[in-house]
Amino acid sequence: MAKRSKRYTPLRLLTLSSAFLLILVTPYLNMRFHFNFIQGWFQSLSIGNLWFVSPLEGLESILTSRSIYGPLLVGMLTPITLALLLGRVFCSWICPISFLSEVTDWIIRLFTRKKHRPFGLRLPRRVFWFALIGEILIALIIGAPIFVFLSPPGLVGREIMMITLFKTIAIEGVVVVIVLAMHVFSKRMFCRYFCPLGALLALIGIKRRLIIEADLDECLKCNMCKRACPLGLDPQKGEGTSPYCWNCGKCTEACKASALAFKWREF
Amino acid sequence: MKSRKKSIEKNRSKNNSRRSFLKLSAAAAVLVGISEKGQAFTIKGSPVKTNVLRPPGAVPEEIFPSKCIRCGRCVEVCPYKAIRPLDIRSGIYAGTPLIFVKEVPCYLCMKCVEVCPTGTLRPISQEETRMGLAVIDKHACITWNQELALCRTCYNVCPFKEKAIKLNELRPVVIDEYCTGCGLCVHGCQITQQNGKKAINIEPIYAYRPVKW
Repeated sequence: MAKRSKRYTPLRLLTLSSAFLLILVTPYLNMRFHFNFIQGWFQSLSIGNLWFVSPLEGLESILTSRSIYGPLLVGMLTPITLALLLGRVFCSWICPISFLSEVTDWIIRLFTRKKHRPFGLRLPRRVFWFALIGEILIALIIGAPIFVFLSPPGLVGREIMMITLFKTIAIEGVVVVIVLAMHVFSKRMFCRYFCPLGALLALIGIKRRLIIEADLDECLKCNMCKRACPLGLDPQKGEGTSPYCWNCGKCTEACKASALAFKWREF
Repeated sequence: MKSRKKSIEKNRSKNNSRRSFLKLSAAAAVLVGISEKGQAFTIKGSPVKTNVLRPPGAVPEEIFPSKCIRCGRCVEVCPYKAIRPLDIRSGIYAGTPLIFVKEVPCYLCMKCVEVCPTGTLRPISQEETRMGLAVIDKHACITWNQELALCRTCYNVCPFKEKAIKLNELRPVVIDEYCTGCGLCVHGCQITQQNGKKAINIEPIYAYRPVKW
């Protein structure tokens, strides 16, 4: 029997909930104590002097206004480097929609007492790229990064800020509800096919270093990894190296034979 | 047989992606179609008007909605809750920050210009701020339309008094060279006209200046 594979889910859930806690608490700290050390959410976040700007938002701002602002590029540098090395890890380890989806999963599991629920609708995976292209095209046509404003990861933070500061909820919060409803209907449907931010991160991380490698000699062809994957990928056929994979590590845990593991790809 | 099935599948997926693309373009066409007369490629007119202003250091209104990524950090950092984001009803201006100076004026703390990540609000000093220009309505202002009326609230609250606003025979006069358009005078003014305007109002005359590339 090969070595027991490491469990990543507790660590991932911890990261997800602390990232959610970060955007949950900072508006209140900003409002009540003028504590501006940590500021913003996942469209643009600052921790002290370290700035992050979401690559999609930054790219659209540059494209639609046809001008380049230095600090914006510097802010985009960290997320792009992260995506270049690790791929779509933002989606599975940080994104608040991911957190809310996990919470939804947990609630569903409480009621149905089933460990796995059926996967639901499958579309061709290329829809993902068309979502990105379509989004950028529409933004260029109407001349404003308006769909960025409707992208759920940023919207969650915006709604939390609106509730904290102005005690109201903006109408566009419906988008978050729709995305979660899609998730109930079919696992991570928005993340898989329609999230332009995820598509951009996947595109950047197309040759990423951290991959999930399948050891075919050890593989029992039991399909457990396929059932565990929230994105409907098939890691035993090497889809852990595809750009769609977001390195959540669920398949490595599901694997009975320890045939799947994270690997740092060298060039 | 297998290859045929594969090709059918391939075709189907092709159709699907094409369909999704067509749907997206149709949606775009609808959105552009709503645009008002004379304003190509905008879904609605700009929300900036009298007493409704952009935060300090804002780029011209022409490129404001395209440059701003709606991250809301200026809204969050404002200690007076003066900056408010618009919602989806404002068309392409949704999510952009605005200051309604009649409710809460800008106190020129200059925190928002430091946090903007896209350069939509440029880092500038208090004196350089040009959110608009205060204009006194001489028909509404009691010091101008009455004899012997003593009111100088706008003069008292102005952060740049004796520079941006002066008293000429006890009547306030705005010096446009120094007025920052912060709206403190509007907020302080005691006279509200029938149309909702005060006796002194901020006109966003700088929002429509030409864009410098």
